[in-house]
Amino acid sequence: MTAPSNTTPSLEEISTVLAKMIADKMEIDVATITPTSNLTELGLDSLDTFDIIFNAEDHFKIKVPNDQVNIETLQDVTALVHKLTLSQQS
Amino acid sequence: MVNAHKRVVITGMGVASPIGNGLAELSEQVFAGVSGIKKIDAPFVEQLSCKLAAQANFDPAAHFSKHTYSMLDRTSQMALHTSIEAVKHAGLSVNEALQPRMGVYLGTGMGGASSVEEGYVRLFKDGASRLKPFTVLMSMNNAAASAIALEFQITGPNQTFSTACSSSAVAIGEAARLIRHGYADVMLAGGAEALLTFGTIKAWEALRTLADEDQIDVSRSCKPFSLNRSGLVLGEGAAMLVLESLEHAQARGATIYAELSGYGSANDSDHITQPSVKGQSATMQAALSDADLPPQAIEYINAHGTGTVMNDITETNAIKQVFGEHAYKLSVSSTKGAHGHLMGAAGALEAVITLLALNSNTLPPTINLAQPDPACDLDYVPNTAKTLPSLDCVMSNSFAFGGTGAALIFKKLSLK
Repeated sequence: MTAPSNTTPSLEEISTVLAKMIADKMEIDVATITPTSNLTELGLDSLDTFDIIFNAEDHFKIKVPNDQVNIETLQDVTALVHKLTLSQQS
Repeated sequence: MVNAHKRVVITGMGVASPIGNGLAELSEQVFAGVSGIKKIDAPFVEQLSCKLAAQANFDPAAHFSKHTYSMLDRTSQMALHTSIEAVKHAGLSVNEALQPRMGVYLGTGMGGASSVEEGYVRLFKDGASRLKPFTVLMSMNNAAASAIALEFQITGPNQTFSTACSSSAVAIGEAARLIRHGYADVMLAGGAEALLTFGTIKAWEALRTLADEDQIDVSRSCKPFSLNRSGLVLGEGAAMLVLESLEHAQARGATIYAELSGYGSANDSDHITQPSVKGQSATMQAALSDADLPPQAIEYINAHGTGTVMNDITETNAIKQVFGEHAYKLSVSSTKGAHGHLMGAAGALEAVITLLALNSNTLPPTINLAQPDPACDLDYVPNTAKTLPSLDCVMSNSFAFGGTGAALIFKKLSLK
């Protein structure tokens, strides 16, 4: 996993980091994860998703509000993290 | 048991302990008098006054996926692993018909101690603003019992008992009552404890009850019933047993290791730490009454035998009070000199050891008994295991801070 940089990460960079987090947690091949992958279909339940969000908060130095944790796909999480990095890292 | 509706038998066991994972390894080491006590393997060891512990050689990655073990405290990991082993040992098929008739009773003193401590370190020491999402779920005392129910999809009674050092003996005894009275056909019962954290050990140090390091051999530091005993050594591990109604076990052709014929529990109610002859003798007497057995039936007692000055004399005197002259004919041993004090898991591990004794007609030794104490004058099976021509009826004692005692009586199954 790359160290967070001082500049705001791109959508692609965020997606790569999140995919690796999911692959590590679920012990699956990162190559099987695509932006449209459904998290439930990858085996994540709601607690697993909270854990991914927790790790993403640490990695990207953001805080995800409670009303924004309803996410279904990798690109949902990516978009959420991207939005928050723009607003909270600036 | 008196007023028995159903007889209760033991058909499976699983263990993770400082002297072996699995029954074969435990059996070999406990009868050989091998000690699992050593200098603690942890980064904080030099900050401790008492640097000893009995750590279980348990690697969760060897048994579970990372996804599974990373959501479980070490206590739950060991409880789940030993439950799976116990079910395998019992040859039990946990199918849809059994699931509603099978439950879990588990004892633990401090539940997810390391998860609690990790959270506190993160919050108070590292200054983090939030905790990991699984902190509550890993810390709660019923996490282990819950993980077991989830694994087997068993929907029968699921409860966690926390009476300090007698927790798992209480869990086993109460599970037997459930089966006896028809609330379940099969129970996974036992205990788990993994409290060898910096904070917990420091708290125990403050009680001034931990053993001094033996200057020649640290593995010999816990010396139950020996005049030079200086205290207990903390340990960790888990032991789970499959309890089953006799009729259920017979119907599926299970191997039966013993009948759990009696369970008694009583409270000292004198002092929060000091044991009492009154409470301990009431505990043993209650188990004898429950089994409808005279004291003379008991041939061996696996003692609580912590290696503290106070416990070992009190327990000896309580045994004398309950058994009278027979106290000098039966044998008593404490195996804590070998595996340390597993706290909430102690009663279950020692129940398994007692069952191994019953099934091999061999009594495990009290190791490190170098200097007889005139106040402890029973046969403690000193230093070397003793094989008997026969062994039919045995007791396992557990006592605790807070005063709750539990005694379990196991008998070879007789169908006469």
